[in-house]
Amino acid sequence: MATAFRIRSQTPQYRWRIVVIGGLTMAGAHAMLLHRLDAGDFTPDLFSIFALYVGLFASRHGRYTPSLVLGLIRDFFSIGLLGSYGVLYSLLHKVAERARGKLDPERPLNVFLMALTGTFLVNFGYHAMLVIAGDGIGWTRALARCASIAIASAPFAVALFPLFHLGLDTLRVDRQGGYWNF
Amino acid sequence: MRKSHEKLSLSWLLRHPLVATCILLALTIVLPYTRVGEKLKLVTFLPLAHAADDVEQTPYEELSEDERQRIDLQRERERVTTLITENARLRETLAAMDGLATRDTDFARAPLPPAVNAQVLFHGDSSAWRHSCTINRGREHGVEEGMPVVAGLTLVGRVFMAGDNHACVQLITDPGFAASCLIIDPDNKDAEPVRGILRGDGSAMPHFPRLELEDVAVGARVHAGMHVVTSDYTGQFPVGLSVGVVRETIPQAGFLQVRIEANLDLSTLEVVQVLQHRRPEIEEQALKLLRKK
Repeated sequence: MATAFRIRSQTPQYRWRIVVIGGLTMAGAHAMLLHRLDAGDFTPDLFSIFALYVGLFASRHGRYTPSLVLGLIRDFFSIGLLGSYGVLYSLLHKVAERARGKLDPERPLNVFLMALTGTFLVNFGYHAMLVIAGDGIGWTRALARCASIAIASAPFAVALFPLFHLGLDTLRVDRQGGYWNF
Repeated sequence: MRKSHEKLSLSWLLRHPLVATCILLALTIVLPYTRVGEKLKLVTFLPLAHAADDVEQTPYEELSEDERQRIDLQRERERVTTLITENARLRETLAAMDGLATRDTDFARAPLPPAVNAQVLFHGDSSAWRHSCTINRGREHGVEEGMPVVAGLTLVGRVFMAGDNHACVQLITDPGFAASCLIIDPDNKDAEPVRGILRGDGSAMPHFPRLELEDVAVGARVHAGMHVVTSDYTGQFPVGLSVGVVRETIPQAGFLQVRIEANLDLSTLEVVQVLQHRRPEIEEQALKLLRKK
């Protein structure tokens, strides 16, 4: 109850710069750096990891808007249909919100599991949108690809979440009830 | 739903995610027709493109004589290095194409439309499923949407959207890419070419990606080592652009699935050519096909 009160009393402090700069950094990393890893299907989906972090730890006052903004940023840097990632990350936010009630996102094992599931679902959802547009690559191959991306991404989440915490702490963003005030 | 005294504001939309999602989806359907999304995407691409292009920020006139000479020398060196690299690459491509030309004379002789040389500013797309690159030529240089992009005589992709000075190229590995192709036997010139549709599969293979040819008739004689070139059946691409080499055939229900290996390492592309080829009107294309028959 006390926690709930603290969350509600948290003054909305929409630090859009954190979301926008974070999104632009991730988009730049994906567009210009990650393909240089030559990791094939095992290229990590860092953008989705960041979106999951926002979904888990952003202030509840902003609801799913930061995730929607992140998704739209990714859409702007892609030749795909505008709004695809916007919708997917909004849904990821909703799912992450529910998962948080059951799993403690501060434990590395839980982070690993949530990142594994989250990146898999986002990529599988994206393929579903490709199928609707008539550009699907086949469900079996898509499943294998989504699994590869999820396996490659999950360990990064375990390492990146504490770094994100540290970064926000350094920027002196308030934290109450486990939620960062952005 | 919305009460009469409630204002329709952002906070109201935030409290009603279903309505907001519906609006977003409606925008998603409407925006592609207004081309707003593409323009916004291009605007967001440009700062990255300029950053990748490593443009000198300090005005040249403000530099001292020594600095100017140093920069001139540096630029000359870079230019020479680039030209040497480009020359070597083009020689390799030419040698490869000469080999193809001696065997597939009919296709190699097909006249190609004029080309615009372009530099690849950066590869990559923010989505792992999409494959695109940005080039430094746009409408001002005669580049239009839909034009084929090649490296030498090898197909690289097509112009997806064109700005004034930049354009975004959809690569052949993108899932949304499709092209009518012919499979030809280099060892048997009398053999009838086999038709198929090349489709990108979003393959993340970093070098010499594997592609797939769909809708190939089951009885068609296709074997490893055959060459795949573009067909002018739909008029989207000129005939005879090299695509890849057949590596494997897998019989499916009703059709043959043909796996091919691309002729180009798409991840190392630096210089490409945009062919000023315009897709003919449907009537023109129909007449062309009738004349062929």
